[in-house]
Amino acid sequence: MAWGRTTLSLTVAAAVFLRWMPHHGWFAGTLVAASVVTAVAINLTRKRRFHRAINGVKHEAMTPDVASIAAVAASVIILAGLGICTVLLIPVEQ
Amino acid sequence: MQDLTSHGGGGRTGFSGRLLRGGTEPDPRFTLANERTFLAWIRTSLALLAGGVAVEAFMADLFAPELRKTVAVLLLVLALLIGGGSFFRWLNVERSMRRKDPLPLPWIAPVLAIGGGLVAAIMAVFVLVRPA
Repeated sequence: MAWGRTTLSLTVAAAVFLRWMPHHGWFAGTLVAASVVTAVAINLTRKRRFHRAINGVKHEAMTPDVASIAAVAASVIILAGLGICTVLLIPVEQ
Repeated sequence: MQDLTSHGGGGRTGFSGRLLRGGTEPDPRFTLANERTFLAWIRTSLALLAGGVAVEAFMADLFAPELRKTVAVLLLVLALLIGGGSFFRWLNVERSMRRKDPLPLPWIAPVLAIGGGLVAAIMAVFVLVRPA
């Protein structure tokens, strides 16, 4: 559920980035693509994480999913960084 | 619970083994709760990100360009800090649970409170002084 909600948030962010495309062109397109790719990647690996959590609770031992967590954090940092670059550096197309 | 101190990380290998060295595996429910809290912070960060973009994209007729840019950048920087901070908060909590130390205080909570308050104050001042 928590990962699903995060996917939904990323999709909403991608939809908001779409609003930038008429003004910032292809650069805003990369933000949309990055958000969608992250959301799809989370969705595709959802079943694996679910089974991992179930097995962890069942066997009372679980290694945290460090790679997924680091990847999501990195994606959000990159999106925010690119967003700042868009506002400050990319000229608005009329 | 599994003791992992004697065999250098047990099931933790590679990236996970490097970041979470030593200690004992906590109850998986705590690990999962920590993961859910991390995701809640990430969603907060994404909401700030969308807010920053929305201010820049939708408020062109309402705000002066400088003010719009300032508020948008403030929200995006806040999103960046919360996004990065959420990973370190997750890591520190996970390490504390493994070593059975007290849980660390989240420094991203005051950052969010101060940043959110600052943006709200800027908007409030703008709404109050804006000519009708």
